[in-house]
Amino acid sequence: MTYTVALAQVNPACGDLEYNVKMHVAQMEQACEAGADLIVFPELSLTGYTLKDQTLDVMRRADCPEFAGLRELSRHIAVCAGFVEEGEDGIPYNSAFFMDAGEVLHIHRKMYLPTHGMFEELKFLGRGRELSIFDTRFGCTGIVICRDLFHPLEVSAMAALGVELLLAPSAMPARGFAGEELAIEQTVGLALGSASTFLGMFVVYVNRVGFDDGLGFYGGSALSDPVGGVTVSAPRFEAAQLIGTIDTSHIARRRYQLPIRREEDLEIVRHALETRRNL
Amino acid sequence: MTANVLALNNALVEDYLKRFIQEELHTSGFTEACIALSGGLDSALVLKLAVDALGADHVHTIFLPYKASSDESRRDAHTMFEFCGIPWQELDISSMADAYLALQPGIDHLRTGNLLARLRMAVIFDQSKKENALVVGTSNKSELLVGYSTWYGDMACAIMPIGDLYKTQVRSLARHIGLPQQVIAKPPSADLWAGQTDEGEIGVSYETLDQILYLLVDERLPAVEVASEGFATDLVKQVERKILASQFKRVPPPVAKLSQRTIGADFLYPRDWRK
Repeated sequence: MTYTVALAQVNPACGDLEYNVKMHVAQMEQACEAGADLIVFPELSLTGYTLKDQTLDVMRRADCPEFAGLRELSRHIAVCAGFVEEGEDGIPYNSAFFMDAGEVLHIHRKMYLPTHGMFEELKFLGRGRELSIFDTRFGCTGIVICRDLFHPLEVSAMAALGVELLLAPSAMPARGFAGEELAIEQTVGLALGSASTFLGMFVVYVNRVGFDDGLGFYGGSALSDPVGGVTVSAPRFEAAQLIGTIDTSHIARRRYQLPIRREEDLEIVRHALETRRNL
Repeated sequence: MTANVLALNNALVEDYLKRFIQEELHTSGFTEACIALSGGLDSALVLKLAVDALGADHVHTIFLPYKASSDESRRDAHTMFEFCGIPWQELDISSMADAYLALQPGIDHLRTGNLLARLRMAVIFDQSKKENALVVGTSNKSELLVGYSTWYGDMACAIMPIGDLYKTQVRSLARHIGLPQQVIAKPPSADLWAGQTDEGEIGVSYETLDQILYLLVDERLPAVEVASEGFATDLVKQVERKILASQFKRVPPPVAKLSQRTIGADFLYPRDWRK
């Protein structure tokens, strides 16, 4: 199967749901015209990132009236976008929904919320505790939000449990300006390469651009192919929408050549957890 | 230790800082910037970045000399106005300053310097209101960390484009951008009296200071380990003391907490808060 994915490298307005929904609609229409089957937005693309106490004002359920237009458009293009989810427990979560054919198919709650240095996510947001693995018309799909991508255990487990298409919406601030590329770009490159090269997954990494209170998000969105490496690479700092092609035959080819997934045995991990716990 | 750890990809930094100026202004609803030009390197660099980011028509800059300001400051300010294609603007603060100074016989250099910095702040903020502009700050990371700047004086501003660049990085970026050599090469000075230099007052060259600061702040090394990298222990401790002694300048004043929701403690919104 071959399909196309749009990487929407956008600059959301912090706390302005109305503006951001309109921007999503425009991006989805543009991607539809380009013939894309799926569009992926950055982390918290519908709300902005540095929300602080605005978190309470912008939290919504994925089936809220404000997102009706997005659900409707998902009849024409599947969409993964970021929002502050109002949990059934009343807790706000840093989530991403996956909509297709007019329905909310899946919601992933970010599991690893950075709370150190410039990051203060756990101060305002609840922690997700479930791996995101769900079936879509594109195959077994998973979502990791920003820092989740840096947890190899989670990403490896997702691959072992069947994920072939990994969506990675992000809001990664630029830092480390010494080299040819930013230090954070190198770090992300390692994570993308590891997921595609070792685990044989397609990774759609979509990072935002723009500034929130001095934090500058660098963009650099990418499509990482298990066979071809990074096949789509968005510019640094500039808003852009890029289209990439995914040929799912690359997954089996890569996994045949380097059968990490076939070798994987989560029982070893389970055994280690149980025996260490009993020490 | 070599100075290489402070080397930056200047093309990347230049691009990033121009976008920062542009977006931070626009997000706050402004198109105009106001910059007080001293004739020194920091304000020259910020001016050039702002002009490139916003266009010369949107940058309002003014030279604010006191009668003791040096001829070099005026000359270099002139050079920068011409370099950026901006018409000369000057407002002499001598009469404002002297009206107060006459009431304070025996006032020392430090108080005078702080007063001049705060008068310039009052003028540039008033000008910013006139031009419907935001004041763009020109402080660098070296002076912010050791406190070699006046609280609510030259530190007062809406945004700080070069606040995370050490002075030696400022010089390097200025060379990359191609600022006039005379502005880059001059010894940094607050220009409060003849022959005054930053390095004379702080007691160490910026090359050395920046390396010590980098190790203490960016690398989080304890003072003893910084000294073992080849710096005099007394100097490292002195730098550390300066950082501690100036901490109050780098944070908002504490608010006495009484209610459930206190500004600073529980009332938390981004600077670019909009509904």
